[in-house]
Amino acid sequence: MMASITDCVVEGLKYPFNDIKKLLSFGALFALISVVSTFIGAKSLDIFRAAVHIAEKTNGTVSHIPISQLPVGDMYLVAGLTIVTFIVSLLIMGYQYDIIKFSIDKKEDLPGFGDILSMFVNGIKYCIVILAYNILPILILVGGAALAGESSIFPIVLLISMLLFIIAYFLLLMALNNMIAHDSLKKAFDFGEIIDNISNLGWGKYVGIILFTLIVMMIISVAVGFILSFITVLFAAIINNQAFVISIVIAIIEGLFIDSYMGLFFNRVCGSIYRESIK
Amino acid sequence: MILDIYKDSLEYSAKDWKTLVILGVICLFSFLLLPAFLITGYNYRVINTAVHGIINGRDPLPGFDDPIDMFVDGVKVVIVQVLYLIVPMIIFFVFALIAGNVSGVASSALMLIGCLITLIVGVAACLMSQMGICHMAYNDGAFSKAFALSEIKEVIDEIGWFECILTYIGLIIIVIVISVVVTALIGIIFTLFGISGAVLGADPSGVFVLGALVNTAISMFIVGPYLSIFASRSMGLLYTMQI
Repeated sequence: MMASITDCVVEGLKYPFNDIKKLLSFGALFALISVVSTFIGAKSLDIFRAAVHIAEKTNGTVSHIPISQLPVGDMYLVAGLTIVTFIVSLLIMGYQYDIIKFSIDKKEDLPGFGDILSMFVNGIKYCIVILAYNILPILILVGGAALAGESSIFPIVLLISMLLFIIAYFLLLMALNNMIAHDSLKKAFDFGEIIDNISNLGWGKYVGIILFTLIVMMIISVAVGFILSFITVLFAAIINNQAFVISIVIAIIEGLFIDSYMGLFFNRVCGSIYRESIK
Repeated sequence: MILDIYKDSLEYSAKDWKTLVILGVICLFSFLLLPAFLITGYNYRVINTAVHGIINGRDPLPGFDDPIDMFVDGVKVVIVQVLYLIVPMIIFFVFALIAGNVSGVASSALMLIGCLITLIVGVAACLMSQMGICHMAYNDGAFSKAFALSEIKEVIDEIGWFECILTYIGLIIIVIVISVVVTALIGIIFTLFGISGAVLGADPSGVFVLGALVNTAISMFIVGPYLSIFASRSMGLLYTMQI
């Protein structure tokens, strides 16, 4: 019996240090995504710039420019890179699936990267559950925005969808746990069992521990952001006129060390919460 | 009883000057945010030792092992304090809001009453939050125990509200007096140096700058940590004063 539920936060914070190599391998995925999305951003900017340039010359609107006049190579590149990003995100989600699995099984080591295919499949499952839980609030938000338009109902719609997003988020975490514990996608939508698990732990305790974990994450990210901005300024002072290089270096540092650490920490705690809830 | 608490705490905090310097160094880096929570976490450990120890006993100063545990404890302490202090702040804002919407004498009267109530609730909230942290430490760090209001109220009832508030206010006075006296002493010493230097024909500005630096260093590395351990120890001991 744990003395306090916050002990699992302590345990989660220590967990990534059990295997630095795997932490960095996981971080490499995040770093890859960061670098690729920086390129996507830069290339998209080029495309927009070209589009605006053409629109200016022909006095037309951007939407009337024929595709052939745009930098097609760049557009293919952006599309390709977006697909790469998506695939890598699926791998990251698959790894998070494994982290939760290891946490529920109370294994002390970090999951390996041996079986890429099952990581990919698990990632798809993880992604489906996240999408399924967020689809209702998204629909309400989009539908409400379309129906309400500029009228005064819109803030209410916004409020309702925000509330639904929050409720969905809390259910989602337990649903992911439940799916991973039983290794079946169906269990992610077994609301009876999910709500049973949460009430077994106590709703206050459940919401409290998740909020606490999020606060700890927030504090760490603010502190890290502070240090990283410090490094950025330092780099900028040393290297002149290389904003692109600097932002990529910072993105790599952040992905390699911080994002991976946070991912491991948060999912580890989620698994621990599930373990506590089925006691 | 109150004087015993102060005596024990004053001696306890002076046990190990190395601890004070380490705390000072952490304090120096607290602009990086994470070390700030380490300091509150260390104070929590002091409270933890005190509520499980005995007054005038041989409790050792807690160590600096397991910084992650210390950090999480620090976050817990800060959350408890913030949540308790939200109550008087809300009361103050409600009164300010009402007072802003009425005019004339009623507005000032309302504001005055509001400030008084805020002050009373604020003192109670400070005391409750400190006792809540002690109660949490006593129950092995169970977060919910910091907000078990009826249990905490019982604890304070047993110690006596008057003693609690007296100890708390006395604590604040001791902290202020010690820091003012130390700062003033160093200031006087360096002023004397500066004046005598000026009489002998040297430029005194360097001496004054040095004096300011020494003052900052001493309050950061010695006095500040000393007082923070002292305050935590006193609150922890106060908690053990239940019958």
